[in-house]
Amino acid sequence: MHRTAFWAGAVGLAALMGASSLAHAQEIRFWTLTFDNDAVGKAYQTIISDFEKANPGVTIKIEQRSTDEHKAALRVAGTSDQAPDVYFMWAGLGLGGEFVKSGLAADMSKYYDQYKWNDRFIPPVLAFSKQYPGGTFGVPLNFHGETLYYNKALFAKAGITAPPTTWAELDADADKLVASGVAPIAFGGTVNWHVMRMMDAILEATCGAEKNDGLMSMKLDWSKEDCATKAFQEFHTWTSKYFLKPFMGIDNNQAFNLFLQGRSAMALEGDWFIGQLKGAGANTDDYGTFQIPTGTGRLYGFGEYNYISTTSKNADVAAKFLDYLESDAVQQANLGIFGALSVNKNVKYDNIDALTKQVLDIFGSAKGLYVNGDQAFPLTETTEYWRIINDVASDNLDPAQAAGQMQTFIAAHPAG
Amino acid sequence: MNGITRSPLVQGLLLLAPALIVYGIFAFYPMLDVVKLSFMKWNGLTPTMQFVGLDNFRDIFTIDTVFWGALRNTVIWTVLSLLVPPFIGFVLALALNQRLWGRVALRAIFYLPVIIAPIAVATIWRWMYDPFFGLFNQLLAGWGLANLALDWLGDRKIALYSIFAGSVWQTAGFSMVLFLAGLQNVSQTLVEAARIDGAGRWSIFRYVTLPALRPSITVVLILSFINSLKAFDIVYGTTGGGPAQSTQMLAMWSYTQALQLGNFGNGSAISVVLLIVTIAIVIPYLRWSLRQEEKTR
Repeated sequence: MHRTAFWAGAVGLAALMGASSLAHAQEIRFWTLTFDNDAVGKAYQTIISDFEKANPGVTIKIEQRSTDEHKAALRVAGTSDQAPDVYFMWAGLGLGGEFVKSGLAADMSKYYDQYKWNDRFIPPVLAFSKQYPGGTFGVPLNFHGETLYYNKALFAKAGITAPPTTWAELDADADKLVASGVAPIAFGGTVNWHVMRMMDAILEATCGAEKNDGLMSMKLDWSKEDCATKAFQEFHTWTSKYFLKPFMGIDNNQAFNLFLQGRSAMALEGDWFIGQLKGAGANTDDYGTFQIPTGTGRLYGFGEYNYISTTSKNADVAAKFLDYLESDAVQQANLGIFGALSVNKNVKYDNIDALTKQVLDIFGSAKGLYVNGDQAFPLTETTEYWRIINDVASDNLDPAQAAGQMQTFIAAHPAG
Repeated sequence: MNGITRSPLVQGLLLLAPALIVYGIFAFYPMLDVVKLSFMKWNGLTPTMQFVGLDNFRDIFTIDTVFWGALRNTVIWTVLSLLVPPFIGFVLALALNQRLWGRVALRAIFYLPVIIAPIAVATIWRWMYDPFFGLFNQLLAGWGLANLALDWLGDRKIALYSIFAGSVWQTAGFSMVLFLAGLQNVSQTLVEAARIDGAGRWSIFRYVTLPALRPSITVVLILSFINSLKAFDIVYGTTGGGPAQSTQMLAMWSYTQALQLGNFGNGSAISVVLLIVTIAIVIPYLRWSLRQEEKTR
């Protein structure tokens, strides 16, 4: 009897251990970027903890890396059994697109049906999931719009009573700021994509929506479009007259600190900037923001997605986690932490601060979208775009030659 | 033990085998794979590669806008690395080979930067070079020389040399230790004999110490050469190759092409060029050096 009981107990224990190891097998490896402020990290901790409690046996293991390391790690592990179950990536063709086209991202059509995601997300960011043939890829995480943030006191000191609504007014205001002894805008040149934002905005202002799209998709010849050369010239005017100097040896974080200290009057940043300001203890009432006055009315921005790897053995659980992450309750509870705008269209925007309201108003009145250069171009062209921009910014390349150099490179890389 | 295992050749091979296997798996095979990849077009993600012959080499030599600048920077870096850190290390070794008070502590202090991870060294120097709050510009401002403040890492004319200063700080101690080890092997009998023969300090140094240090000099120069061609971490951590790729190096450009831009073919072709340059210089120098050593015996 004792022996029978012993064996029954042993079998039961083994079954339990087996169940436990099965449960451990449902580990979701989630690769994402290093969070840019503590609030995001704390929010993820709570979200993951709550999800794990509601789904016993499932663990979410989050791994964070800086931007470049994240891209490199994905490329190395992407097609192996070391690939994560879920990975963060931007939604544009230039970054997320490469991984989708290479078969790293799983088609999530069935999850879109199962969880009714088509009805949950705001259309501009949802559209990124449908841009590739062969399925629906990724789940929206964030939609970021970039605007010009300004220090109200420094604008007032320079005699600027209202934000500019045209590019000519922006130039005139920059002159007023210089005359008042303040650098108009701060950028960090060591991270190429920061200074690039200014060039992207100037291209939109100088070329207009249609030609800008044509240039960024490389369907138009950069060397034959006068507006491209004019854009590089205007960009050089900004880097030489209006950027806080020196800027090539600092990064975006240092530029942020300089803006915070009132060393520059403006910063071209996304809606995450509000979180950064709050995280740094700044009073957001001291700052305002306005649409980059390109004249096209389009919003400058990009989408961020989470994708499920084709190699994931726990795709169903991964989809369930993403569904929870983007659920009405989680998104409402964390409003303003991941960005000013939630990708979930059921989220209510009550009790938001004035700066966030300004951002949302700009988003709401935008007539379309133009994406950042590093989202629009393939990676190789992006790197050359950065090199040319930086060469113009550091007076090493005549702006008149810049568009020609860009086209020469594009022509030499026909496959893109 | 049978006759075969008693053979010195077999015993030697048996002892070498573990190291050879590890070397083969972790060094030789990857090297061969890189050579193979240099003839392929592959983005690192797709399951198949496409054979493209010498196209990748043609691309890096003709349409890559960064390759030649990276090669020039690598040559400058290598020449400076062969001259500056070994010279400083040599002078430090000579000084700390004297019977100075606290020389053991000083040796440790000068060697300390060697054991710091290069990426940490890069971070330290990046902060010291910060144009607004960094040590150097703050010191200049404090001395009333604010007009001499520079954008150390942002000005393409000086950025490479600014990074190199950080590299010297880190690597001179390594040369110093190798030279110190060499100095311990200088025969004191010969030094005494030379002194009795009336040789002065310079003559003893020139005709006794320096020839005895030849193996150390060879090792220091070869290691400096190889390490300089591989320069990566400190550049990556300070400027990332910028501004406008003006501090880009071949090793880092190879990494960027392969792992960041997904051009594994081009990245591998750059690595192959680097490998050929290394072999073409190191092997003849090693042979020449060994011949010279034989002559002096």
